[in-house]
Amino acid sequence: MNNRGPRYPGYNVLDKRDTPSWNEITRKVIDHRLTLDGPKFFTLEEWLTLRALCDCIVPQRSGRAPVQCAALVDHKMELDQRDGFRPPSLPSQREAWRRGIAAINEECRERYGGAFHELTGGQQDRLLRLLEEGEASSPAWGDMPAKVFFKRRLVHDIAAAYYALPHAWNEMGFGGPASPRGYVRLDFNKRDRWEAIEQHD
Amino acid sequence: MTEDDPTRVPRAKNGRAPDVLRVGGWVPMRCFADDEQVDFVIVGTGAGGGTLSCKLSEYGFSVVALDVGPYWRPLEDFASDEHEQYKLYWTDERISGGEDALELGRNNSGQSVGGSMVHFAMVSLRFRPEWFKSRSLLGYGVDWPVDWREMWGYYREVEENLCLAGPIKYPWGPPRPRYPYRPHELNAAAKVLARGCEKLGIKWCSTPIATLSAPRGLAHPCVYRGFCIAGCSTNAKQSAINTWLPRALKAGAEIRDLAMVGRVELDANGRVRGVHYHREGQWRFQRARNVVVAGYAIETPRLLLNSACPQAPDGLANSSGLVGKYLMAHCNQGVYGVFDDEIRWYKAPPSLSLTEHWNYTDEGKDFDGGYAYMSQGPLPVEWSGTQTGNHKLWGESLLRDMERYNHYAGLKIVGECQAMETNTVRLADEKDRFGLPIANVTFAHSDNDKKLIAHAKNFMRTALEAAGGYDIWAEETETAHLMGTCRMGDDPRSSVVNPDGRTWDVPNLWICDGSLFPTSGGVNPSLTIQAMACRIADRIKALAARAEV
Amino acid sequence: MRTRARPADRLRALQDALAGNARSPALLRSEPPVGAQESADVARLLNAGCAILASSVLADSSMEHYRGSFENKAMFVPPIVSTLALIASLHGASDRSARAERRRDAIYALSAAAAAAGFGFHLYNVGKRDGGFCWENFFYAAPIGAPWALLLSGTLGVAAERVRDTRPGGIPHIFGMAAGRLLAGLTSAGLLGTVGEVWLLHFRGAFQDPFMYLPVTLPPVGAGLLASAALSSKPKKRPLTRFWMKLVTVLGLAGMGFHIYGVHRNMGGWRNWSQNVLNGPPIPAPPSFTGLGLAGLAALRLLEGPKNE
Repeated sequence: MNNRGPRYPGYNVLDKRDTPSWNEITRKVIDHRLTLDGPKFFTLEEWLTLRALCDCIVPQRSGRAPVQCAALVDHKMELDQRDGFRPPSLPSQREAWRRGIAAINEECRERYGGAFHELTGGQQDRLLRLLEEGEASSPAWGDMPAKVFFKRRLVHDIAAAYYALPHAWNEMGFGGPASPRGYVRLDFNKRDRWEAIEQHD
Repeated sequence: MTEDDPTRVPRAKNGRAPDVLRVGGWVPMRCFADDEQVDFVIVGTGAGGGTLSCKLSEYGFSVVALDVGPYWRPLEDFASDEHEQYKLYWTDERISGGEDALELGRNNSGQSVGGSMVHFAMVSLRFRPEWFKSRSLLGYGVDWPVDWREMWGYYREVEENLCLAGPIKYPWGPPRPRYPYRPHELNAAAKVLARGCEKLGIKWCSTPIATLSAPRGLAHPCVYRGFCIAGCSTNAKQSAINTWLPRALKAGAEIRDLAMVGRVELDANGRVRGVHYHREGQWRFQRARNVVVAGYAIETPRLLLNSACPQAPDGLANSSGLVGKYLMAHCNQGVYGVFDDEIRWYKAPPSLSLTEHWNYTDEGKDFDGGYAYMSQGPLPVEWSGTQTGNHKLWGESLLRDMERYNHYAGLKIVGECQAMETNTVRLADEKDRFGLPIANVTFAHSDNDKKLIAHAKNFMRTALEAAGGYDIWAEETETAHLMGTCRMGDDPRSSVVNPDGRTWDVPNLWICDGSLFPTSGGVNPSLTIQAMACRIADRIKALAARAEV
Repeated sequence: MRTRARPADRLRALQDALAGNARSPALLRSEPPVGAQESADVARLLNAGCAILASSVLADSSMEHYRGSFENKAMFVPPIVSTLALIASLHGASDRSARAERRRDAIYALSAAAAAAGFGFHLYNVGKRDGGFCWENFFYAAPIGAPWALLLSGTLGVAAERVRDTRPGGIPHIFGMAAGRLLAGLTSAGLLGTVGEVWLLHFRGAFQDPFMYLPVTLPPVGAGLLASAALSSKPKKRPLTRFWMKLVTVLGLAGMGFHIYGVHRNMGGWRNWSQNVLNGPPIPAPPSFTGLGLAGLAALRLLEGPKNE
């Protein structure tokens, strides 16, 4: 695991919540996102798998991925907010996730004798690489290619949810919401006082 | 769900439409009854339909424009948040397959009054003149049935309407006047492109871009917040929603939001009678003397195919069999590298500098066509998609590379795609929320596209290195924009519409959007779509004067 | 007996005067003598103009160099020097003595020198950027015209000390040249230079508001009137020129009002002040015209002679 300290120590994009960097609707949608904490679409069993998947795709220095990451994936499924397309080999996103999680757990039981969230870190990692390489073999996948599910749904949806969280913006030093106030200093190595300060080694 | 939820309850009705420039504001709107035969029903209000609505209503025609999207007021409805702003994209289901399947939605399809211009990246470039005759002059593709000099005049009209900010002198092509507003200050990401070009000895310039560099009426100048493709919450972005459509309303057009057109109806004589559309929970029928379809390169052919009837069993205007064929996108590969300097590319519009060198230079190429490349500025969610998709990162390596976000810079092409008959939009068996068959899209790159992409990636890699970048990597698959599927031409056998935008088969059915492009060119299409809409409006006016409309 | 100098001769004389190498007795003779009180009053008026110019520079350079993150230590110079110039000018404006003051003199000379160096720095900054001396860099690199106001403040300040030093009943002169003519010429050139800078910045702003044409049309007329006064051979009342200088004085203050309104017109208005005072129109810039207007009025007092009607 990564032992370095944070790149932007002390930076918290939420500190700007009540400054001109955030407008009313932004406060509303981010506030709402931060209240998400449990499954509304997924079953409890699926939720455990999803959270373990999040811990693998966006692993944290200290402990588990923020609960809002899995919760935002769940929220996307609950409202059925789609991307605008799907590959012919995948069913619609809700069905793909349901079938995908079931197949992952089936694959895990066949190989390691337990559900995904019960495996060790190393086993989880091996299993995900197997999906990525298209080497899943459980019949539970049916006609849905594990490789396409892995790329288009699993990694895509989890990363998109994680990087929609202020927590992730702090790690990256992203300025976060910016309206009505945007930025003044645009040149190399220039920052406004409302931007993150990078820790240089 | 609140009373004023523009995604559920139409805003434009009862004699008024939203004033996009004022919080909670309204402007008066002329309204027509469904059984009133209007001169033009226009399906879609984006670069094509929005522009045409404005021009035709200003020419005195009665116009009803229908759009399935909500009517936003950007100042109050747009959050500074990528996730929330997915509401601007066309996220209804589409199936996308083929060897190089297109990623639809975010990068090429909008669902708002104002169309995908509401989230466009504002890059507004003219075609290279030779591209209008690429078969005759450059030996590939097909010729457009229009003259570049005519288009040059319409380009100027659009540039003035959008108050483009751009260079005093544009370095390529025939001379053009100064852009209306001054170029924007370059951010570090744009300066990386400049440095690369200077080192390699090619020209570059500040991008002509549709966001204000000085106030304009009630619209604010750009504050460099960088959320452009997630929707501009300041109205600095100049697009259909805050330029053409307010003009259209003032001139007496009616705009109906949350109105999905499901079918264009033909009468017994093979002429269009009007359109069936769904609004406020029911199907309605609007009578019209003419119908213009302006739904962009997927929804336009989808509507024509969905309108099949006994008189036109293969879909409207499809006697050539070409409706839905020759779909094009732009090659949109990016090359990214890390810099010791802090770049912080989240600031300012993403593409503030560009080079059209490889659009205007024909030597040193092993492919037909050309490409422009531009500086980049993806926000976290978009960037994570690039990192997980094209860079194939996840887990620890993903997080670690995402932490280098502020040190990344990138260059990205808009590269010409060759039109291929096998790239298509067809109907799937699956139905959408209105019960209409959804689009099934198939796309693969030509060999020429692949050569162009390889050339561009190679060149941009060198340019990034020259500018001081390291750990450089390139995207494999990425496209932007959509074009083709109802191509314009001189011959009814090889095209869907004539040079006036009128379908060859149905005299009072017109098409006015990116789907009529016969070739794609190496520049973002929105300026050409709008210029073509201005041209079609003038053609309609001239034909009407001779009683030919 | 006097003969009317031909225009070409007068122009040459003025050019020589401005170049600082003239000792033209004809120029000296053409101005009325002044009393001690009058010369001190004119000097105080000049000091007031310098104070306004210096405060404009102080506010503007502090803001702009803060925006530039004081990347180069030399960027602290103009705020410091303009502060000194402001103090010296306020001191001068309240000083009724008819003798020059050595420290004021030194500060003014220093600010003129600092401004000249500033031109060099700003020019270098424009040229070193990718693209070199192109429009984009004139818009966004260090503003080439900005040190102008500090140069004027310094130069007019040195001139004020010279005028103050006039012996009672003598003709005010500056380094051997008639002070009224020289000041009129200097102010006229100062107005034109300032107009050049404003034109660049308002062109940058696409003249999006018709009022943006005012500061590039009214002051050049004033500059012309002043120049013609400087070239004229005999002292006489110049009500039009006087009126126009007052107009320019008011224009500077009105411009500040317009710029305050302009900041409000940017996204988020004054609530977003931390961005908009930097990205919006520069509020402290227009009063430069007020400072020059006062200098023009001072020059006219010397050219017209004492108020005796």
